[in-house]
Amino acid sequence: MTDTLFLFASIASAPIAIRAREIEAVVRLGDIVPIPLVAAHVRGLAALRSRVLTVIDMEARVFGTDGRGHQAGLAVVADIAAHSYGFLVDSVSDITQAPGGIQPIRGRIDPAWAPYAGGLVERDGRSHLLLSLGDFVSAPGTTALAA
Amino acid sequence: MDEILGEFIAETLETLDVLSGEVVAWEADPTDSSRLDAFFRFFHTVKGSCGFLNLPRFERLAHGAEDVLAAVRRGERIADPATVTAVLAVMDRIGALARSIGGDEQVPESDDDALLDALAVSSGGFEIFAPLPDPIGRDEAPVEEEEDELRVEAPASETPQRPAVATVQPTGNRERAPRTIRLPLALIDQLMNGISDMVLARNDLARKMRDHGVDPDLESSFERLSANVADLRDMISKTRMQRVDRLYAAIPRMVRDLTRELGKKATLDLDGGDVEMDREMIEMVVDPLTHIVRNALDHGIEAPADRLAAGKSEAGMLTIVARQSGNQIVIEISDDGRGINRAALVDKAVSAGLFSTIEAASLTDAEKLNLIFHPGLTTAAQVTSISGRGVGMDVVRANIEQIGGVIGITSIAGRGTTITMRVPLTLTIIPGLIVRCGELFFAMPRGNVVELLHQNSSMVSIETIGGARIATIRGERHSLIELEDVLGRPRAEQTGPRTLMVIRSSSGQPYVLGVQAVESNEELVIRPASPVITAAGVFAGMTLPDNGQPMLLLDAAGLAQVAELPLRDADVRRAPAAAPDTQARAETIQALIYRERDGTSRLLPLAVVDRVEDLAAAQIVASDGLAFTRIEDRLLPTLNTSGAESASVKSLRLHDGQDQICYLIDDVVDIIEVPAKLDVRIGAGRIAGLVMVGEAQLEMIDPFMLFAEAARRRGGDDATRPIQCLIADAEDPWMRTILAPLLVQAGHEVRFGQASEGAPDIILCAQASAAHSAGDVPVIALRDSAEPGATAPGSIYRYDRDTIMAAIAQAVRRVA
Repeated sequence: MTDTLFLFASIASAPIAIRAREIEAVVRLGDIVPIPLVAAHVRGLAALRSRVLTVIDMEARVFGTDGRGHQAGLAVVADIAAHSYGFLVDSVSDITQAPGGIQPIRGRIDPAWAPYAGGLVERDGRSHLLLSLGDFVSAPGTTALAA
Repeated sequence: MDEILGEFIAETLETLDVLSGEVVAWEADPTDSSRLDAFFRFFHTVKGSCGFLNLPRFERLAHGAEDVLAAVRRGERIADPATVTAVLAVMDRIGALARSIGGDEQVPESDDDALLDALAVSSGGFEIFAPLPDPIGRDEAPVEEEEDELRVEAPASETPQRPAVATVQPTGNRERAPRTIRLPLALIDQLMNGISDMVLARNDLARKMRDHGVDPDLESSFERLSANVADLRDMISKTRMQRVDRLYAAIPRMVRDLTRELGKKATLDLDGGDVEMDREMIEMVVDPLTHIVRNALDHGIEAPADRLAAGKSEAGMLTIVARQSGNQIVIEISDDGRGINRAALVDKAVSAGLFSTIEAASLTDAEKLNLIFHPGLTTAAQVTSISGRGVGMDVVRANIEQIGGVIGITSIAGRGTTITMRVPLTLTIIPGLIVRCGELFFAMPRGNVVELLHQNSSMVSIETIGGARIATIRGERHSLIELEDVLGRPRAEQTGPRTLMVIRSSSGQPYVLGVQAVESNEELVIRPASPVITAAGVFAGMTLPDNGQPMLLLDAAGLAQVAELPLRDADVRRAPAAAPDTQARAETIQALIYRERDGTSRLLPLAVVDRVEDLAAAQIVASDGLAFTRIEDRLLPTLNTSGAESASVKSLRLHDGQDQICYLIDDVVDIIEVPAKLDVRIGAGRIAGLVMVGEAQLEMIDPFMLFAEAARRRGGDDATRPIQCLIADAEDPWMRTILAPLLVQAGHEVRFGQASEGAPDIILCAQASAAHSAGDVPVIALRDSAEPGATAPGSIYRYDRDTIMAAIAQAVRRVA
């Protein structure tokens, strides 16, 4: 049942969906402390009360860009392998049921998105790309292989 | 039901842990019925609970063991080793079964019969499945729940409440154990996080209050709240601490089993079980400790016949001591076995191609011993199932170093080996230095920092050779790297000099790290950093200081690696005569450079210096050519006085573990590392020898001579014996109410009465007269006017405390 509950958001004006069981909260982040010597999609550290989040820029990860230029706002908080992360998203629309469940991808998807897209989820007649947060902290595809 | 079952499993496993040590003690002294009761209760409890929980296998095993123990209690059977082994096997099986309920692992049931047979066989012909003892036979076991034990025999009448009561018994009845409750660790972690949140909120509030300005009334309320929060945080941190006893619990059993297997004998002595350390830390230390104990039994302690031949007692002695030393826990494992065979180690190392025979000859003893930590080297002639597979001490050292600890070894051939592990009190809270790097801040564990210097200090010279930067500090060359370069950050403009940190890490040579500035020194709660961060290779963890800004903890070894500094192994090959690893650094000692009052700079081993203090001139009392300093009503012998002191003077308080002396100096200059071996030995008077320090050579003071000198002055053995003071005028109220308490405070013993009684060291009286004197015991007369009158020559004014104290010390010395 819970598997049909999704968070709907957008990154780089693409509509995405994340399984609700993967996420803990959506928060607006304060200051982000940058970290030297790490991959460009690792934006830095942010404090969420007494927790320290590693902030991941999903857009930068997908497109390989350096996201440090633009403003960080909303973040999806999740614990993955005992570490807390914040995943930056542009906007969040809703957390709701998608009765249709996960559909296979139709059409030829942008190669940048391909390693991350796990299917399509429909909401209000619009398709959303299903992403798994675990893919964004490890090398893409490795979690899928391991599973 | 599941909950009760889970509780049962947890209780059972925990009780087993506690009991495994007891069972060995019981074997050593089978007459100790209190121990027997503990086991009896355990099996009894298990049996009772299983009946209720419908676990027939547990019940059958527990019943068998209980019967045997009952027979022992009745005196029908003795606790011979075979019996103990059989009982232990049943305990193990119960443990395995309990664990298998939790997991999927299955223990074949058929094996149970073998265990029960073992119980029967070892019974030596007695009827073991005899009915439980009648009440008369059990009077040597005064345990409250005897009634319960009786009723166990009626399984049909089991009531639901009974097992629940019974499960509490094993812990509840142990009079030594403090009352405890069981809490899930997750709850404690949550609690800890909650407190951290509270601290952050408090800091935030404090900042806002500072910015806005609030009235003092509100501020004092806030202060109180703030102090409470701080206390609470300290208390919560303590919940993470556990007694080292937990670490010890499994050792007696292990020693017993191993000695049996190896055909050796050993007595085990565990000390310091009440020392507390972080529970995570305990878990990290279990494996290394187990390994070292195994090694000690397998390789250290000889077979009984060999021991007797070597003139030792048949049973080896294995001692494990834990103690707290500052913010470290020291665990020492010593055996009195054959010691480590250096020659065999060196042979192995040579045949493994680590160095040539010639190079091996130049190794110091400590270097040879440290070879034992080298991967793949073992002195074991043959590989046994217990140890000697070559995966050994190198792994142990790696594990200890991984948690920020240090491991050291000393060994005397034929006399035994001592291995010392020093580990931090806790993994999660470490003292750290906050360094600035542009607008970013990083933390460096203080344990890695040897010293801090300003770049423009006269002790430092920096040169660039072929692109490599070298910092020479007091004649020692170190690689120099800049934090900004390693992290790929721009160097910020700065006005003041940069700070150099001399860093030591477990994996390489010490190096110098240049940073923009060292901001502060804080206790940091360290959490693991996520893999995407540790992938950078220079961060060991992250922390959230009280200002709420996350910060990363630098990894000293990682920085060296990223900067591609030469590693330890490479250095060994290039300079085999040099220290093969950091352990050999123990060959240096820390020494204090100070300036004598005549202006000469000299060295003193830092270990004997207790503190540096300023003494007021009035504190120093010179009498009869000797000087003493009064510190808290004790008189410490004082060296280097220049007659009557007129101004306050700097003093080093030296201690030899028992006595203290004051050593007056002009000023303290620096603390440095010097070789433990002197460059030139002199051994004349106070000077032990010469040490090369940079461009100069300094005289090293011999503390032995200082203390010997002070002891000579003090005279006799009075340093250890309190001075017996006799107050002759027992009726004098001043003597009784003012003087006597003063003398007692100063550590003297005071009696009242006549001189003829006892043998006082000194007599104090209002007026010296023949009546008071007793042989050659010195008499001090105290007058009540400040000016010396003609009536009492040589008397001391009664409120001239310093002179009185000095006179007592001096008079006694004269007698001695």
